[in-house]
Parts: sequence; C-alpha cells; structure tokens
Amino acid sequence: MERDGPTALERFLNGILPENPTYRQLLGMCPTLAVTGAMQPALTMVGATAFVLIASNVMTSLLRGLLKPHLRILVFTLTIATFVTIADRFLAAYMYSMSKQLGPYVPLIIVNCIIISRAEICASKQGVGVAVADGVGMSLGFGLGLASIATVREILGSGTWFGLRVLPTSWVGWGIMVLPPGAFVTLGMLIGAVEWASRVQPHTGIWRTARSLWSWRRLASSS
Amino acid sequence: MAETPKSPRRRPRGGYIGEAWLVILLAILYGGALAAVQTSLSGRIEQNKRDQTYDAIPQLVPGADKAKTQQRLVTGEDGKESLVYEAIGADGALKGWVIPASGQGFSDRIDLVIGVNASVSQITGLYVLEQKETPGLGDYIRSESFRDRFRGKPTDRPLVVVKSEPADPHEVRAISGATISSESVAAIVNQAIGNLKGPIGRLAAGGGAAAATR
Amino acid sequence: METLSQLIIIFIGAALINNYVLHYFVGICPFLGVSRRVETAVGMGFAVTFVITVAALLNWTLTFFILRPSAPLTQWVWRAAGGSPSHSVDLSVLSYIVFIFVIASSVQFVELYVRKFFPPLYRSFGVYLPLITTNCAILFASLEILKHMQDPLKVWGIGEALMLAVGAGLGFTLAIALMAGIREELDLCDVPAPLKGAGVALIVAGIMAMAFMGFAGVDKGVETALASFLR
Repeated sequence: MERDGPTALERFLNGILPENPTYRQLLGMCPTLAVTGAMQPALTMVGATAFVLIASNVMTSLLRGLLKPHLRILVFTLTIATFVTIADRFLAAYMYSMSKQLGPYVPLIIVNCIIISRAEICASKQGVGVAVADGVGMSLGFGLGLASIATVREILGSGTWFGLRVLPTSWVGWGIMVLPPGAFVTLGMLIGAVEWASRVQPHTGIWRTARSLWSWRRLASSS
Repeated sequence: MAETPKSPRRRPRGGYIGEAWLVILLAILYGGALAAVQTSLSGRIEQNKRDQTYDAIPQLVPGADKAKTQQRLVTGEDGKESLVYEAIGADGALKGWVIPASGQGFSDRIDLVIGVNASVSQITGLYVLEQKETPGLGDYIRSESFRDRFRGKPTDRPLVVVKSEPADPHEVRAISGATISSESVAAIVNQAIGNLKGPIGRLAAGGGAAAATR
Repeated sequence: METLSQLIIIFIGAALINNYVLHYFVGICPFLGVSRRVETAVGMGFAVTFVITVAALLNWTLTFFILRPSAPLTQWVWRAAGGSPSHSVDLSVLSYIVFIFVIASSVQFVELYVRKFFPPLYRSFGVYLPLITTNCAILFASLEILKHMQDPLKVWGIGEALMLAVGAGLGFTLAIALMAGIREELDLCDVPAPLKGAGVALIVAGIMAMAFMGFAGVDKGVETALASFLR
C-alpha cells in the first residue's frame, strides 16, 4: 500500500464534499449547465462521466511508470478520448433517445477538466486502488452537484422530478429554468448557498467532519 | 534573450520516435478497441436511427407496413437528390409516401417527416423528429393536436398559417404564442412538398426509378 | 444565392442566436476565468477565434476526405487494398480522437505564433493559452461540423464550416468582452460575500443569456430580407 499520498479512503471522501468538482473546484461547468434541465439526462451524464473518469484513472495509474513528462498530457488525452468514444457508442446503441437528448455533450466529456485534472493530480502518481477510489469519490461529488442543480431546475421549470409530476398541474412551470438563463442563475445561487453554508456553519457536525477530513488530508498528503 | 519558461512540450533528447513509443503503442491498442466497439455496436446504432423514422410511418400513412416500406432517391425540382420512403401496405399496395424534410425554425433546425397519400394530393400526417423550439411554447409543435391540424390538407397550393380558425382548406391554425414556430413548420412542409411532389408523381407513374440501397 | 443566405444564417446563428457561451454553455471556464479586464478578454477571444477557425478547417478536411462514411480517400484505399467496392467504409469512430489531436496541435501552433510575433500578449495570457485546448467551444464547433457531414445528400462544404467557426469565435469574443466590461464595474459594487466571484458572475451571465435570447428569429428575418432583396 503506497503511503506517498492520501489513502484511497481519503481520496474517496475528498471528492464528495471537501473538493466537490462542481461547487469547490468549479470544474466541468459545461455539462453542469447544459444537461441539468431534468434529472434523467443529468444522471445519465454523471454515469457516462463516471465511467470515463474511473476507466481513465485505472489506465493512467497502470501506465504511471512509463509516462514521459512532456508527453503525458497526450497520453491522458488519448486515453480519455478512447473511453469517451466507447461511452458515446454504448449510449447510442442502448439508450438512443437519451443519447440524442445529450447530443454533443457526451463527446465534450473529453475536455471535461475534472478528468484530466484527476489524471494529473492523482492517477499518474498513485496506485490503481487509490485511483479508483478517487474516481468514484469525484463521480459521486459530480453527481451530487448535477443532481442538486437538476432538481431545482426540473421542479421549478416543469413541475416534475425524474419525469414524475411532483407539483400540481395548476403550477405554471417557470420555463426560464429549463432555458440557459435559468441554468446560469441556478448554478450561481447554489454556489452562493454552498459558500454561505460553509462560512456561517463552521461548528455544525457535518461541516466540522468535512473540515477535519480536509485538514487531515492536507497533513497526510505530499502533493 | 530571457530564458523562455519551461513548457511541457520542448524538443526531447532521444528524438521524437524514441520518446513516443508509448503513445504509438497506445494508439494502436486503442484503435483496436474502438474498431471492436464499432463493429459490435454499429448495427444496433444504425437500427436505432432507422427505427426513429420507420416507427413513425404507420402513424403517418394509414395502412402502411413498416417492414415493407422502401427507401427511394428522387431528384427534386431544385436539382438535388432527396430521400423519400415508399410506404407499402401489408397487402403490397402503395399506401402513400413519407417525405423527410427539415428547415430553420424559430430557435434551431426542425426535422420533420411528412406523410402523403399515394397520389401526393393530400397530407396524411406529420411527425417532428427533432426540434429545439422554446419549451412550453414552440415545442408544442411536437404535440398530437398541432400535428393533426395538417392532416387532410391538400397539397396543390402552399399552406398558410392563420391565428384564427381556418376558413379555407389551405389554412392551418397557429399555436398561440408560437406563431413563428408554426409558420416555420408550414414553410418546411410547403417547401418539401413543392420540391418533391412532381418528381414523386413521375416516379409513381413511371413504375419506379432505381431503388436506393443505403 | 440560397447558399449566400445559408452562409449568413450559419454565421449569425453561431455568433448571436445560439451564442456558444450563453446558449450552448461551452467555453465557460475562460469566460469566468479570463474576463476580468476587457483588453485581456478581447485578446483571449481573438485567440480562441483563430484556434477555432484553424481547428475547424483542419477537422473539416479530415472528416470530408477520410473520416465520414464513404469518404473519398478511405474508399480509394479500401478498393486499392482489394476490398469490395460496394462496402461503405466508415472511420467515424475515430473522429473524437482525431479532433482532439488536431485541436491540441492547433493550439501549439497558435502558441508558437503568438510567442514569436506578439510577445507581450503571450506573457499576459500566461497559462491560459495552452488551456485553450480544453476549451469546450473548439471541440464543440468541430462536433457541429461533424454533425452536418453525416448525411451524404447534405454535406457541408468548407464555406459553411468556415462561417460556423468564425461566427462561433466572434460570438465567444463578444460574450467574453461584454462580461469583462460588466465585471470591471462589478468590482466596485457591494456584492454579498457568498456570491463574490463565481456566484455573481454566473448570475450576470444568466441575465446576459436572457438578453441574447432576444436574437431568436433574427436569422429568419435575414433570410426573408435577403430573399426579397436579391429577387
């Protein structure tokens, strides 16, 4: 077990809240705004991104001894592009209507900064187990971020959640929520809400745990 | 001259090939994986794409059989080749034609398929394959009730969109609040039928031009 | 003349109506990161426009001749190697990999060009210039072009691809410059603490997106105007 960096458990917990890709690192904004009009496309996107993230982390971790410094970005990109193509083809074959709804945002996973940054920060430096934990944690964090935005946008915009009606039909949907302005404003307000919660509530249980994990990780890691 | 900052892409010492063996190996490996994925899944994907149009055909042309429908290439009045579907019923008789059409809507492209009867004299149905109109307003063009407004309309003159109840068989009522989307659909229908009505008629009368195999 | 109006519609569509930042949500990272001062923002916008155009033209060429179903060069190689002439060779599964490599190389090329001919601009960009590779807008433009090359009956020519690329880049530049101008003013305002930085920038972007929604229908108007003008 390698101890030259955070452990698998630390990496896993890190990705969910303390270094949440959406709210803390502000990475992967493109799919965050584009596919969160409803829960189903949002979670399909999370699934596809999770597959690519974990697979590319595993592959990068297996190759980490062979990477030359100036060609490593090329290797990361090649790996990610391959897995994205595989994910895109699988979606087109088995979930065709969802694939069309997500459209060009599935291949855009290639330039999703989350995946390249995890390959650079974690997978190219640590073992496969840690890389997988990191991938799973980040995916859960990403899923949390996207699901929170999609919930707000879908319920206010269409009155449904996962396609099931949750608000009475007399509720006139806020169409703007499903459109681009709603995406931007929702994300901005939620980022503000998360910021506020993390500043104003430093002594409550969950935040104290998150912060101590954060400082624990800082102590233990060398990166 | 100031030292340029070290970028990760400076000329390597061992020559490019020596340094790049891993990249080349991975490229071959990944290429093989992708070829495998392509061969195993492309059939399903093509089927999915075809089903999108074919599944709509029985709705568009009454009595048409999905399995017997054939693709045809016709040269429109504009001189360009277009794909149409010859909708044949289970009894082998020609029931009508299905014409894919697309054009500019209010927000983005609208892709439709139009069903017409065998003599191309009447519209038998309309189906929206893809649209990105305003949710809640323009995207009502997908709904059954809007599409039904085109059913039974004659094709001899271009259809006109009106905001009140249609007085003339060539008039179609617009969606309230989405006039431009409604007009776009009518314009796409008019353009496609105007372009292909003659050639399809000649195709049907002449006993079939070369069938397309795609 | 139908081609001319088609080209203008593609351009206006990519620049204003379906603005890449405010409608398609691509290129958000530099939009939020580089838009502090108008000069840097406009410089970044033009750099991105240049890269999008170069990358889109290269990708169009590769797709047209090699990657799309039944592409000329691929079919020729297939037949020369003894394959059956009626079989349609489809290399489109390699599209994404080829595109991202072309984009990375285009960025390299632009980086060298800017470093040699505009050194102060190069220094002011810092690390953001190589980061253009991960700018979703460039890959997105190439993907849009790819989408319009699938149907053999309606393949986009190089003119359409060029119009899309330039339109997308200029639309991005417009959006980022507007954002920079607003943020310069916003720095002097009393923004609530939780919203400082990304929060308020996104809310401003939302309002800008609403404003840009007003462009919807402009292309149809232009099409009608051109049709009657050229009659």
